[in-house]
Formats: sequence, C-alpha cells, structure tokens
Amino acid sequence: MAEASPATPSIEVGDLLSRADAGEPLLLLDVRNDEEFDAWRFEGRRPIETVHIPYFDFIEDAPGCIDRLPRHREIVVLCAQGGSSAMVVDTLREAGLPARNVAGGMVTYGEYLRPVRVPIPAAEAPSWEIWQVNRRGKGCLSYVVRAGREAIVVDPSRDVSWYEAFARRLGARIVRVLDTHVHADHLSGGPALSRRSGAPYFVQAGEGFELRQPVEALGDGQELRLGGETGVTVQVRIMATPGHTPGSCSYRIGRRHLLTGDTLFVRSVGRPDLGGHVVEWGRALFHTLRERLASLPEDTVILPAHFAGPDEIGPDAVVAAPLAALRGEVPELRITDEEAFVAAMRAALKPPPAAYAEIIRANLGLVAVEPEQATEWELGKNQCAARPMPAVS
Amino acid sequence: METRQLDVRGTKCPVPIVRAKKEIDAMQAGDVLEVLATDPGSVSDFQGWAKTSKLAVLKGQRTEKDQTGREIYVHVLERRG
Repeated sequence: MAEASPATPSIEVGDLLSRADAGEPLLLLDVRNDEEFDAWRFEGRRPIETVHIPYFDFIEDAPGCIDRLPRHREIVVLCAQGGSSAMVVDTLREAGLPARNVAGGMVTYGEYLRPVRVPIPAAEAPSWEIWQVNRRGKGCLSYVVRAGREAIVVDPSRDVSWYEAFARRLGARIVRVLDTHVHADHLSGGPALSRRSGAPYFVQAGEGFELRQPVEALGDGQELRLGGETGVTVQVRIMATPGHTPGSCSYRIGRRHLLTGDTLFVRSVGRPDLGGHVVEWGRALFHTLRERLASLPEDTVILPAHFAGPDEIGPDAVVAAPLAALRGEVPELRITDEEAFVAAMRAALKPPPAAYAEIIRANLGLVAVEPEQATEWELGKNQCAARPMPAVS
Repeated sequence: METRQLDVRGTKCPVPIVRAKKEIDAMQAGDVLEVLATDPGSVSDFQGWAKTSKLAVLKGQRTEKDQTGREIYVHVLERRG
C-alpha cells in the first residue's frame, strides 16, 4: 500500500466539529489502535456514527475492511496525527467510497480553539466583553476579557499566537495574563504570552510549591481595572479560592461573572487529590465552596476552566451556569458537613492523568519543554473533576 | 535464520508498519526483523498489527537510547512459516 498522495481530500477539525454538532449524517472511521481509541475519542455535541478499524487492518486486508463500511455515506477518517488516515482515505477512494481525511488527526483536535462570546445584556456591558475560548478536544476553557482597547487573557493554552491574533482581531492590546492555578492537564501559555506581549503574568502556586516564573505580586481582594484610557472600565477582582490547589484563585469580572478555574465546574467540583493531600486540600475546598463562593449573589455566572463532556455546553455554545442553578446540578455543593465532604472527595479518588507531574513542573517554570514533548504530554481529555469519568459509549 | 534491521527512525505512522510489512513479506519463515522507530505510537501499533497479521509475530519490544541520545522503540518481529 503506497503512502498518501499529496492531494488527499481532507476536512478541517473545526468544520468536522460544526458538522458533528449539527448532527449531520457522517460516518467517522477511526483508524487508531485499540488502546488509543479506548482512551480518547472525537466528540461532537450530537452523537456521531463511529466505526473503529485500525489502519494496519487495512494494510493487511483492505478489501475485507472496506466490506465492513456502508457505501452511501460520507466517511471522514481519523487517526492520531493525520498520516495513517490519509493512507486509508486514498484506499477508500480507490474503491469508490467518498472519504476525507481529518487534517492533523487527534493531535489537531486536541489543540483546536474556538472562541464564543459570553452573552451579557448590553445594559450591563455596553462596551466590554468576555470571550470563552473552547478547546473542545481536551475540554479546556480559557478566557479573553476586553474593555476598550485593553484585554486580559486567563488560562491560555500554549498556542500563544492564537491569543495574539485574537486580541488583534478585537482591536485590543493584551495588558495582563492570568492563570487561575498551576494547571496539571495542559501547558500554560501564560509565561510565553507575557514575555511576547510585555504584559505582566500572575499565577499563585501556594504553599509548598516552588514557582520559578516571573509573576506580579497580586493579592486576595485586589482589583484590576481594564479599559482605562477609553473611560469605560470593568473591574477584575482576585479571589483566593484554595482547594483544587492551595494557590487556586478565581477572578470576578464586573459585578456578576466569576472565572472559577478548576474550583467549581457546571456539573462538579475540582478534584483536590492531585497533590497527595486529599484531606487537607479537601477541607480547604469545602470552606471555599461553602463560605467564599456561597456568599456571592445567586445570579453570579460561573465560568469554569474545564468541562467533562459536550453536554455541558449550553445552547448558546457557552459552558456556564448561574450559582443558583449549580446548587441543583452539583451534588457536592449540597454537602453541609466538612467530614462528609472530605469523605466524598476520598471516594472520588482516581488515578492522576498521565503526564500531570511533568506538566505541573513545567508550569511552575522548573523545566523547559520541547514542542514534541508538549504534544505528547497533552494527549487526551482533561480529568480535573472530582467525579469518576463517565464510560465512553 | 537471518536477522535484519529496519530503520524507520524519524518517520511517523503509517510508515513504520507499511515498511515492516514489506520486509516481512519478503523474508523466509523463521527470519527475524528488528524495527527501530522513534514514533511512540508505534508501540501499541505493532502490538495491534501483530495480532491480526498473517505473517508477522511480535517476539518482543524494548526502548533504548540510540547513539544520538534519542529514545527509540525496538520492535522484534519473526516471520511466520
């Protein structure tokens, strides 16, 4: 079987997501090996018909594999990086089947970013906006807040040129880069974005962690003003919300929006077990949730840093929920006893994600990372929630 | 019984298995093929391929550092009779 020709028809990850979300009748042929297929799948907001046949089965017996595929359905072929799938597309097309290659495969799916504006009534936000940047493949969410010609970026992924281009598109200059906490599932683009834009960087590592990044000294309760020179400002207030990590912070934007990082998601809370101190960090999380967050107005909109599945994406394409609704959605919020909460956190203990210790060290600034290593470390969906992962259907 | 080496370092899937199959097809029963790869995905891929391959048996896998200090994956295959 020859290697893929240069003109193999392909489809971009973004297009495939749009079509899968709309429920278009596509067939997704995943040609990765069993281990990779079981660990991480392409997910749309509507179910997508998927057939799994490893590419090396095509190498051994192409006609036998082709017989297993429906003839009159558009097939999109997916693999880890886009190479094997291109080869399979060529084979299918030679046999007369309409097939296209998912360009860049799961690696590109894992890196793809889609910005969505958070709907805020014009009366409340006449000239400032919050954009939620959805990294669908991993379930990571980052934010760009713009007021006037100034923007802050919160929890950026490592594709820093994407954020630079997006800020330019908004007509804004990046004036601050913030991380809600030291992430364990992805490499932060914060330090690099800060160096390239000249904007100060802030993250809080918390006690026991050596942070070797140049960071601004900001404290709990401190307010930043965004949009100054045009006279329209929005306040960004820092709130210490320890638990998922000792240094975790949330950022209150204006009166009513709260970027909660991994402290509180729309269906669960952040796991406090990744430091090996589930009891201590669990207690801190309990107090954060029941005291600091509970004291906020009921209509506060929670904007988290992760989501576990596309069902958490709302009809407006935003992952968000008002605090009032979360009391119903998040069982952990209804636990009123500290010991019971800690017990629930211990019951939800699960193995840490594969490269989490290396990623934390990199985010603390203790090691530099080559791009290829970064790609490998970031393979897979996030596992930041304190809940067993739902079985892949 | 012959032992051959196939160097597919620097290549990504599907190249390692495409080339390994070509070698195995041209070998005699009992001959051994050592495939040197840098693609980490090759580890599970060779395991999966060997399960369904009619001619290749996976005798073992190991990781080593090559002379440039790169992490390489060595897949040892035997041609079936």
